[in-house]
Parts: sequence; C-alpha cells; structure tokens
Amino acid sequence: MDILGLLLGLVLIWAFGIACLLALPRRAAPADEPGGIAWLIGAGGLAGLFLATLWLRALSFAGIQFGLMAIGLPLLVFTLALGSWAFRRGRHTTHDLWDASSGNLLRNSFSKMSAGLSGRSQNGAARTLWRLLLAWLALRAALLFTEVVSHPLYPWDSWTQWATKARVWYELGRIVPFERTDVWFAASGPAYFDAGPHYPGTVGLIQVLASNFLGRWDDTLMNLPFWILAVAFAFAIYGALRAMEFTALGALAGTWLVSSLPLANTHVALAGYADLPLAMYFCVAILACMRWLRTREPADAALALLMLAACPLLKIPGRIWALLALPALIVGLLPRAGPRVVAGGYAAAVFGLLLLAQTSPVILGYQLHLDFAPDWEALANSFFLYDNWHLLWYGVIAVTLLGRRQLMAPQIAPLTVVVAGGLIFVAFVLLFTEARNWLSDQSTVNRATLHMAPLVVIWMLVVFREWAQTLQIAPTALETMEPPTDVPQPASVTAL
Amino acid sequence: MLCPLLALAGAIVFLLLAYLALAVPASWFPSSSDKQWGARDFTLPSGTGGVVNNELIVTGTDASGQAYVAVTTDLRARDYAVITWNAHDVPANVDVHFLWRTDYAPRKIFSVPVAVNAGRLLPVVLANDAGWLGHVTGIGLAVSGKLPQPFAVAGVVAKPSGALGILRDRAREWLGFEGWNGTSINTIVGGDDVQPLPLPLLLAISIALALATLLLWRRLRPMQTKVDVAASIAIMFVASWLLLDARWTWNLARQVQATIAQYGGKDWRGKHLAAEDGALFGFVEKARAELPATPARIFVASEADYLRQRAAFHLYPHNVYAEPKSNELPSSDRLKPGDWILVYKRRGVQFDPSTGRLRWDGGAPVSAQLKLRGEGAALFLIQ
Repeated sequence: MDILGLLLGLVLIWAFGIACLLALPRRAAPADEPGGIAWLIGAGGLAGLFLATLWLRALSFAGIQFGLMAIGLPLLVFTLALGSWAFRRGRHTTHDLWDASSGNLLRNSFSKMSAGLSGRSQNGAARTLWRLLLAWLALRAALLFTEVVSHPLYPWDSWTQWATKARVWYELGRIVPFERTDVWFAASGPAYFDAGPHYPGTVGLIQVLASNFLGRWDDTLMNLPFWILAVAFAFAIYGALRAMEFTALGALAGTWLVSSLPLANTHVALAGYADLPLAMYFCVAILACMRWLRTREPADAALALLMLAACPLLKIPGRIWALLALPALIVGLLPRAGPRVVAGGYAAAVFGLLLLAQTSPVILGYQLHLDFAPDWEALANSFFLYDNWHLLWYGVIAVTLLGRRQLMAPQIAPLTVVVAGGLIFVAFVLLFTEARNWLSDQSTVNRATLHMAPLVVIWMLVVFREWAQTLQIAPTALETMEPPTDVPQPASVTAL
Repeated sequence: MLCPLLALAGAIVFLLLAYLALAVPASWFPSSSDKQWGARDFTLPSGTGGVVNNELIVTGTDASGQAYVAVTTDLRARDYAVITWNAHDVPANVDVHFLWRTDYAPRKIFSVPVAVNAGRLLPVVLANDAGWLGHVTGIGLAVSGKLPQPFAVAGVVAKPSGALGILRDRAREWLGFEGWNGTSINTIVGGDDVQPLPLPLLLAISIALALATLLLWRRLRPMQTKVDVAASIAIMFVASWLLLDARWTWNLARQVQATIAQYGGKDWRGKHLAAEDGALFGFVEKARAELPATPARIFVASEADYLRQRAAFHLYPHNVYAEPKSNELPSSDRLKPGDWILVYKRRGVQFDPSTGRLRWDGGAPVSAQLKLRGEGAALFLIQ
C-alpha cells in the first residue's frame, strides 16, 4: 500500500509538471509539432519534480510541517486547476484538437498523442527497428527499476552528504540548516552537520517528497524519483529530436544513445547523487533554449528558465552550467556577431582565470593553480579505454573533424558554443585546479563530464546529420545539372 | 546496410589477427593446456597470512620486509609461455617479483618483476626469458615493501598462451562481471579491471579501418561500388555501440540478479542487516532504542571513515557529529551534559565503570554513563 502511495505521488508530481507546462502561454498546441507530446511529457516530469521541491521550500519557509496533506493536496489542486484551464484555453486555440460537431476531442487527442509517440510515421524495416529499439530501452528501464527498488542507498557521497539532509528534513518535517563544524558547535542544537553541509538541498528534497508519499523512511524506495527522472528525460530527448526533424527511428536511436551511457545508467541504479539530475536539467534547459530560439514561444522560454534555475540548486557547479545558456542565446539571437562575441568572452574568461590562478584563489570550492601536468593516461582511460561512455568521445572527435564546416551553421551554432564552453569548463577544472588529482584516481572526472554528456550526444547527432546532408546535396546537384546536348561528354562526367 | 556491417566484421577480424601477431609469445596453436593452482596449494615461507574463502590473504611481511608465496610445480617451461597470478588489492607501492626454480639450474632462483595495475598483477611473459628452461619445479611471488593493507592471492595459472587461449582471455575480460563497488559511481571499466585490449578501443579502430577500406574500394572500383559514406559510418557506429551496450546490459542483468539474491524479499530493516555494514546497523538500531525520542547531540567515533560515516547516517535525525575525514573526537571541553558518544571499533577510548569517567586519546576525562555495550562498540551518555 505504501508503495502504491509512492507511485501515485510520483504520478501526481509528473502530472503536475505537465499541467504547469500546458498552462504556459503558447501559440501552438504540443500535439501540433513532431515530438511535441513526448517533449511535454518528458519536460513535464522534470519540471514537476523541481517545482515540487520548491513547494517544500515554500512550506518550510512558511513554517508548515511537511506531510501528505501539505504536499499532495495542493499539488492535486494545482494540477486539476492548471490542467482544466489549459484544456479550456486549448479548445479555442487548437482547432484541430477540437471537433465541436462530433465532440470527439479526447479521441482526436489520444490519436495524435499515440501517433506522435509510437513512430507510426515509419514504414517497414524502420518501424520494426523502432519497435526493437523501444523494447531494448524498456528492458534497460526494467532492469534499472528493479535495481533502484531493491538496493539500499549505496554510493559514498549519497549517504555522507545528500541523503543525510533528506533523513533529517523528512523526520523533522521541515528544512533545518546544515552548517560547518565551527558553526555547528556554536549553534549547540538547532544546526546539523554532515560531510557536505554547504551542498544544495534539492536532491535531499526529492527524497523527502518520496518519503512523504511513501509514509516512512526507506532509503531504497525514496530513490524511485531518480528512475522517474530518467524515464521522463528519455521522453524529453525523443521529443526534442523529433522537433529537430529527426525521423521517429532517428529520434529513438538518439534517445537510446543518451539513455545507454553506462555511467548515466549507474547513476540511476545507484541513485542518490546530484550529477545525473544536473545533467538532465541542464540538457533540457539548453534544448528548451534552442526551441525558444526557433519558436519564440513564451512557454519554451519559461521552461528554459525553470530548468536553468534548477541547475545551481542541484549542485554548486550548476551555477556555471546554467551560465552556459547565455552563449547559446547570444549566438542564436545574433547569428553574425554572436560567435565572435562568445569566442571573445571564452578567451577573456580563460585568460582571466589564468591570471587569477597566479594568486591561487578558491572559486566554487576549487583552488586554481597554474601547474599544468595532466595525467594523460587517466584521461585516456576515462574517455577512450574504459566503458564509461561507450563510443561517445570517439564519436565526438570524428564528428568534429567531419562536420567542422557545419559546427557554426545557424541552427547548430548555439549548441556548439554550449558544448565548447562546457568542454573548456571541464578541461580547466581538471587541468588547472586540485581536481587534477580526481582525474588520476578516476574519482570525479567522469562525474564532472556526466553533466554535459547527454547534451554532447545530441550535439554529435545534429552535427553528423548536418554533415551527412551536405554529402547528399552534392551528388544531387551534379545529377540535376544537365549538360548541353551538343557538347561531347567526357567519360568522368558520364560516370557521375 | 549489410556492406558496412561486413566491412566492420572484417576489420574486427583483421585487427584481432594483427593483435595476435603481436601478443602470441610462442606457438599459435600449442598442444598443452592451462595448468592452475589454487590457494590451498600455496605456502607462505615468509610473511604472515592464511587461507580465507579459497584465497591466500597476505596480511604482512616478515622482519626483513618480505612476503613470499610459493607453489610446487612440475611444468615443461617451453610449453608454458605466460604465468598469470589471480591477485587483488595488491598495493601499488610494493615491489613484486615472480620467482621460479628449474631442474636445469636447481641451485638458482630466477626472478622477473611483476607489474601492478589497479591492485592486480599483470601476466608475466616468460617465453623469451633465458632462465625459463627445462622443468620448472617451483614458482613463487616475492613482495617487498610495507603493506598498507592485506592483499589476496586466489590462484596462479600457467598458460601456453596460444592464439585461441589469448582470444578466450580477452573475451573473458570483456565479459567479466563488474559488480557494484565503491568506485562504480565514478567509473565503469567494462569487464575486468585490467584489460590489455579494451573493447571500445578495438571497435573504434575497427570502424576507422572499415571506413577506410570502403572508401578505398569505392575509389578503386567506382563503377561497381556505391558507398553512402554517412550511412556507413552511422551503421557501423550504431552496431558497435549496440555491441558495447549489449555487454553492459548483460552486466546490469547479472548485477540485478546479485542484488535480488542479497536483498530480495526483505524490508528496509532486513536489507540493512543484509548489507555490508549489517553488524554496525544492528548496533546502531540498539543504540537508537537507548537514545531519546527527540533528536539528541551525538558524536561518533570509529577508526574507519566508512564505519564512522555509516554509523552517522544510521543515527540521523539525531544531531550527529562525525568527522568526515579524520579519526578525531572533539576535546572533552566541547561536550556538554546530555550529549552522547557512540564508539565503534576505535582504540584509545577508556571507560572506568567504577568512577563513571570516560576519556579518549589521553585527554581530560568526563563523567559518563555506559548505556549500551556491543562487540567493540559502546554508547555513552555524557553527564
């Protein structure tokens, strides 16, 4: 029964997120564009969970004790109110969803939704492959689900600095501060202590939500939201790729590439760290920015802002990741001058950090220094020899070389500058700070890279497709060029 | 679709053959088969340790700083090109040598250094060693240096190391079960910890080679060959990714099986009792019964970071203080009446029940009441 409560609660949060996104002002209905429904479902899942943690913060700020009624009831009311409002508004703006004469709104809606999700646009072999791929994804999801609901909290930081807060906040029914040693001793009671007292509380609050719906403390089942996030994220990726005009098979293949990264899977199975949620929120934030650049829908802008707001509240490096939306917007809004502005900005940032490093300052908890001595062997192990990323980084190198002329194409440039900025950030942290030691012992290098890995996969796919299209255009142009009939044809042209 | 896949398969076969040409130390198709010895065949002429769960656990060196593991053998040296020790947790800072004795020079002990990688011993290739002659009557492992922690030797295998044997070894490494451990959240090796030929590398080079072959073929036979370069790359990349993913999913399925075997059908409490720190959890559960219902300030002392932090985690929502990275307890003047101290496997804490005085690390004693006692564990209330 308690597990049923947990599942219902998580479904409610998911529905709440979808209702919130539906209620945002938009000109076109989600079902009107390829992948719109999948995007709504996926991004809705992420939005719902983050907004629910904000609700917990609000409750605590107002001095209201956490509990099923204080959390579940308002979410239910909001979901129904926002959902019905969006439904009524949708009647007037989305004509093709509403057939007033026959009243078959639901039938049409579900028909569109299932068509959008099922890859029905594919034929023959593509459709079979689409189904096989979906089954493969479902198998992985089932394995991860079994692992999440069976394994007690396992990885080190999850029980030394993340779930510690969840336990205290759940049992006390409110957010209480975690402080450093000296403050804790001075406070003599009201403050708590753990191995990461300054870490943001969103991961803990996600676990508090699950514990409240479950009705008890259970450090196994409280991690189910992380699995839900992974499933929602897969929906969002599929929707985003469909909106970028990938075929249903191409979009599902892209979803599979993102969802099958072994390190990402590990962070679902051994849930409790902030790295994968940060990667998901950051990726959806940038994808929402890209959508906004294309559609200028206020709903996409609002979603992007919400996802960006989640990043620093999940993990401290999330502040930098959130800032990386700025270059994307600059390049997207100023296609001519933007790339130069961003390149100048990156160069200035790197130069400034190198100058700062002369004085060994501590920025975001990292001590900078100029002692450049990377552990190349560890780097090769992490990215190319171990199976953390399957073939991702080989693919990135190949795509960068093959598609070098397409990297700054107008529709790709915003993504390229984010990926470039992310790589600069990760490289700088790993090569110029004490985090270099974490490269040698493999303790953090992959987790730091995980933050950007899903977005890098999407970037890789987009650049590759752009490059592949240029190959197709070239022969077509030659084929359509009809030579004058009175001129004798050389053999090479005939061969073409 | 078939053409790129065939090209990829051909490239993999070609690269494996090229690898074998470099890796096979002697005969490609030897007539002898592997010979192996287990922990029960080992002796420990110097150093300390014993056999636990079919592994020889070497806990320390002798006075001269050496530990020596020995096995009596009867091998024809020319039939066996490689010796592989199955050991783990070998410290990186120690000096390890493989030793052997032969009937050819019975008074002489030969030795070659053994490389340590990720706590494992890398295989020793002896095919071209001048001392690897005649009948090998004994082999051994000499470890010199300070042992910061015990290491285990589960067995040793003498291998002819032919082509099929090497391919079998690589396949076994790729498919080796990589269960969850403390580093899984940071890195996934993809099979055994040590792999001379990582599968991602093999596949990446195979894609490049296959693509180069296709392009060359297209250039040489432009009339007969119609190669869609982008589609070929995509198909080969996806096929290779699928292969890696199948391996990873298979590993995940085995992990799920192991998890269910350990935790399946158990409630939250049962799972924790079945976990690695089950004994600690059991003691903390008893301690929680002694603690007040409202959160109390409690200090945790344990020598191991793991046990100290786990105890703290199990004690929340009490107001726990556990030093994250050092085995230090605050000085007694920072404690106040009503505080609690939980001690678990930590030396240097003394309690005198007759006077009710508690002290640690030679500091000033404080009045305390012993509320609970366990094996190597205690709970005190400061008064």
